[in-house]
Amino acid sequence: MPQPDPTAELTAALKERILVLDGAMGTTIRSYGLSEEQARGKRFGDSKKDILNNGDILTLTNPEVIGDIHKRFYEAGSDIVETNNFSATSISQSEFFVDDPREHGGKKDPEFFQGIIEDSFLRDLAWEINVESARLARKWADNIGSDTGRKRYVAGAIGPLTVSLTNSPDANDSGFRVITFDQVLVAYKEQVRALIEGGSDLLMVETIFDSLNAKAALVAIQDVFAEDKISLPIIVSAAVGRGGETMISAQTSEALWNAVAHVNPLAIGLNCSLGPDLMKPFLEELSNCATTHISCYPNAGLPNPLTPTGFDMTPDDMNRWLADFANSGLLNFAGGCCGNTPEHVAAIAKAVQHVAPRSVPSIG
Amino acid sequence: MKTIPRILRLSGSQPYNHTPDKNFLMIGERTNVAGSPAFAKLIRAGKLEDALEVARQQVENGANVIDICFDDGLIDGKAMMARFLQLLQSEPDIAKVPIMVDSSKWEILEEGIKYLQGKGIVNSISLKEGEEQFKECARHIKKYGAAVVVMAFDENGQAATYDEKIRICERAYRILVDEVHFPPQDIIFDPNILTVATGIEEHNNYALDFINATRWIKENLPFAKVSGGVSNISFSFRGNNVMREAMHSVFLYHACRAGMDMGIVNAGMLEVYDQIKPELLEKVEDVILNRRPDATERLLDLAESFKNVSGKKIEEDLSWRNEPVEKRLEYALLKGIDRFIDEDTEAARLKYGVPLKVIEGPLMDGMGVVGDLFGAGKMFLPQVVKSARVMKKSVAWLEPFMEAEKAAKALANPDAEVEKSTAGKFLIATVKGDVHDIGKNIVGVVLSCNGFEVTDMGVMVSCDKILAKAREIGADIIGLSGLITPSLDEMVHVAKEMEKAGMNTPLLIGGATTSSAHTAIKIAQHYSGPVVHVLDASRSVPVTTSLLSVDQRAEFARANRVKQDKIRIDFEKGVNKKATISLEKARSLKYTCDWDNYQPAVPEFLGTRVIENQSLRELANYIDWTPFFHAWEIRGVWQPDTQTLKTQNAGGAEEAKKIHAEALELIERIIAEKRFIARGIYGFFAANAAADDIIVWNDTQRSAERCRLHTLRQQLDKSSGKPNVALADFLADKKNAYTDYIGGFVLGIHGADEYAKELEQQNDPYGAIMVKAIADRFAEAFAELLHHRARVAWGYERPNEFNHNELIKELYRGIRPAPGYPAQPDHTEKPILFDLLDATNKIGVSLTESNAMHPASAVSGIYLSHPDSHYFALSDLQRDQIEDYAQRKGMSIEEVERWLGPWLGY
Repeated sequence: MPQPDPTAELTAALKERILVLDGAMGTTIRSYGLSEEQARGKRFGDSKKDILNNGDILTLTNPEVIGDIHKRFYEAGSDIVETNNFSATSISQSEFFVDDPREHGGKKDPEFFQGIIEDSFLRDLAWEINVESARLARKWADNIGSDTGRKRYVAGAIGPLTVSLTNSPDANDSGFRVITFDQVLVAYKEQVRALIEGGSDLLMVETIFDSLNAKAALVAIQDVFAEDKISLPIIVSAAVGRGGETMISAQTSEALWNAVAHVNPLAIGLNCSLGPDLMKPFLEELSNCATTHISCYPNAGLPNPLTPTGFDMTPDDMNRWLADFANSGLLNFAGGCCGNTPEHVAAIAKAVQHVAPRSVPSIG
Repeated sequence: MKTIPRILRLSGSQPYNHTPDKNFLMIGERTNVAGSPAFAKLIRAGKLEDALEVARQQVENGANVIDICFDDGLIDGKAMMARFLQLLQSEPDIAKVPIMVDSSKWEILEEGIKYLQGKGIVNSISLKEGEEQFKECARHIKKYGAAVVVMAFDENGQAATYDEKIRICERAYRILVDEVHFPPQDIIFDPNILTVATGIEEHNNYALDFINATRWIKENLPFAKVSGGVSNISFSFRGNNVMREAMHSVFLYHACRAGMDMGIVNAGMLEVYDQIKPELLEKVEDVILNRRPDATERLLDLAESFKNVSGKKIEEDLSWRNEPVEKRLEYALLKGIDRFIDEDTEAARLKYGVPLKVIEGPLMDGMGVVGDLFGAGKMFLPQVVKSARVMKKSVAWLEPFMEAEKAAKALANPDAEVEKSTAGKFLIATVKGDVHDIGKNIVGVVLSCNGFEVTDMGVMVSCDKILAKAREIGADIIGLSGLITPSLDEMVHVAKEMEKAGMNTPLLIGGATTSSAHTAIKIAQHYSGPVVHVLDASRSVPVTTSLLSVDQRAEFARANRVKQDKIRIDFEKGVNKKATISLEKARSLKYTCDWDNYQPAVPEFLGTRVIENQSLRELANYIDWTPFFHAWEIRGVWQPDTQTLKTQNAGGAEEAKKIHAEALELIERIIAEKRFIARGIYGFFAANAAADDIIVWNDTQRSAERCRLHTLRQQLDKSSGKPNVALADFLADKKNAYTDYIGGFVLGIHGADEYAKELEQQNDPYGAIMVKAIADRFAEAFAELLHHRARVAWGYERPNEFNHNELIKELYRGIRPAPGYPAQPDHTEKPILFDLLDATNKIGVSLTESNAMHPASAVSGIYLSHPDSHYFALSDLQRDQIEDYAQRKGMSIEEVERWLGPWLGY
């Protein structure tokens, strides 16, 4: 069921405190040690390709695991958790279900992806994952919300896709693109509609490595809002590299803010790709220019395959860093991305608990 | 509360904020087919790379935004807009600035904004087709997040006069702000710059009308901007650049003072207002400001004298062209400039003599600098790709020379092997379970730009497919990519499979979660070929080039391996430094059996029993064959019921069957010729634990200590609450009321060493190894059999209670730990055991100086019978325990440390 627009109550809460987001879905899923067979369940038993790492599918085959993770994040102090459908578009799901034409010397191009976005199996699957993922998060938001007397929210996750609209994979033609803007728009619109149907309170365009992909997602959201006469708050969050640019399209965070300010997002921020230590200067840059709230959910440091979570930083580390950010007046939303378990999020929640939120600059 | 000014904020890959300190926003006009005949010609001829060069020059000349327009009858404007903007995105130096998508056709504007990752400007819309269409277009532009240029047009046409201009602009503003909710700071009015000095009187006030309208707009329409196409003003002086530049400068000077924010100009063609000659300035101002009726005529007279004098030349900074060729190549790679690459490459070729030296020398050095800057976050992916494309052109220039060189070589030496025609075949894939490949695609592009033949297998590619494809195409290098954590395990798997397949092809590892440490510690040791971690696309070229270079390959692989070995050893040292606890604390956490409810098993005899000549045929039935095949490096598990080896090793089962048959044949011969004699001794003694020692009593009354065995205790900090075990924990303590018992055994296979030597002398090394391997199996089988007998003698096991398989799986009660093994690694316990049993005298098994047993195929150990007794491993022994142990054993600390070196944790 579509939810009422919570912008007013969220804005009021954001004046009082820093709201807490959740942590890493992928990292936490892996701690449950599911096997390929368990991931497939009965439903995808015959799937030709392995789907263990298709985390979104677990919403359908292992809802108790995903629900448990949502529950643990809410219990750890998250005000908002993200739905488990980061890659639930026909485009991204195709990677798990359709033969890669490159295995046989073919190529992925707009013709190939036209087939994908029209494929009824993939579209139905993506729709179902999005709706069910939103419902699952909704259920635990409402459960924990009523248990604790503190309202919890569900953010419909809109991931960056497995394709790029600005990068050419063809060495001989830098103008080539595997997919078109309009194709991406179609796939995103279906995801947005399904997330709203499943009961999302917010929409989160996140882990943006290619700002043009993100732009398509934002156009999709506005289209759905206009067509379905609905409105929900939007959070926009980019994944920037060590130089502060989006990973693939190399756009600085201020340039991104300029490019997305027109959707009046509830927040803009950074997530993934870097730990808090490396992220800070770019968060400051964003905080200085953005006339909206700032969100921040860094990785738990850099990837370190030799640790249990796959990332460097412990809950204590994240606590220290996010406390530092909060005290520097940089935060309105705080959470963690890759490598952040419920324990990390509890530490982050503690770090920002009694610190005044960043005051949002007015435009004038 | 902080306030951020409401200003026009645009972006390409970088922001452009039109802050008050920026006097004028320059919009480059030369990528407009209407504004530049040269650009139009390039586009019509399909020379898009050269056309991009025009865009780059404008940015270099200071354009803040570039205007792109393909409104031309001979150009498919919509398709060209898409194509050109896509090409432009791959040019980081251009893509950094905001783009103005310019067309009179809505469908082209609509297409163009789909290619802007930043916030651009749509140029333009107007009320020409009525309010409804105007609003619809504005809403669409707002949705895509662009600023908009509104032309002063309405249903009746173009606004020429001041009154028309302000009326139409106000109307448009109100619709946009009040109805469409367009941000006012993103509205840019173009109140039409029309040509002056045409000789027609009505035109004389056009410049002034524009300037006055600008002032009105800025005063009355909050936050709105004013722009215009500046070159229109001087259209009547076409061909006279001095004149035109002066007119542009004067016009802009006055329009800007009135509030004009931006204009479409030729950024390289603007005279500085202050530097215009006074005479010219006065006459131009007369025209622009319409100060006197004869202004046009007076200016025309003056213009005659400037005819054929060329205006300000477009200045391009070419100082880097004076650098030496290596620096020029580096600069070209860094900046992604390919204009001079052919001539520079040729210069380098002549200097270095051999084309390959150019690639391996200055070009690789240049890419190395690119890699460094990228690693430091000072260059970004699109720039790296751009560098690679320049590299590609350079390599392409060198290729014919390399071909000619080869042909010459072949001619001179027709028998020589024909060299490969490409730089190398590179196979790349994202491993099974992972769907991420945008980064991997970039590696593919960068490598193919450098002349490698890249085969990209896509995502979710299983190991067997990768290996099969590598064989099929004869890959020179295999690259594995992955972004998510589980991909790391899959990479380890691929490395192991490559090793099994006997491959030697270099393996490159890359992707977000990979690291040089992980590659060194977890992957490299599974594969004997080179395994190299590649940090990012920019690093892939030098690594690949080195791995394929005849001169550099061996040294590169060696250095890489040395580096990885060091990382791994350092890591293992670090890992083994686990938290430990004091011996005192460890003792308090000892393993405690439920002694109160336990009756020790009493052996049927005390003292020792000797088995002088154990039946080999009986032992043969006890053989566990699995380790036998390991000795032959065939991994698998022996299935006694089917007499086959279960193995994944292709052909391994077949080979195992063959060796097994040979072994059986040899065993028959050994038995028939009485080659081996199996002798063993075992015994039981009254015993109790005393802290970490085991006291062996003279008798069950415990009247005197016969000897003491010593055990060592685990000292790792087990936060799990598990005990810190020593073997002594499995015996009742001497404080306990009752006597407990311990067993001991020694056995050996005599004759094997001699038989093996004999075969060696007969030049049958294979037979010799076989004999030793069989003797080892006999010794182990004997140990198993003896243990079984001991358990029966101890009274808690019936004969034949366990079958062969159950024995191998050690399902029975009790253990037989051997000195020198993980539960008690100290070999100096052997002499005590040997003395206790008098083993050397009784069965002829002796100890060497280093406490190794002779004959070599021998086993010794103690028997423990408590049902809780189990094997465990010691590690990280601390100094407090070593001091205590040395004192208990009457040895010096140094001596103990020498024997227990690998188990010390300090």
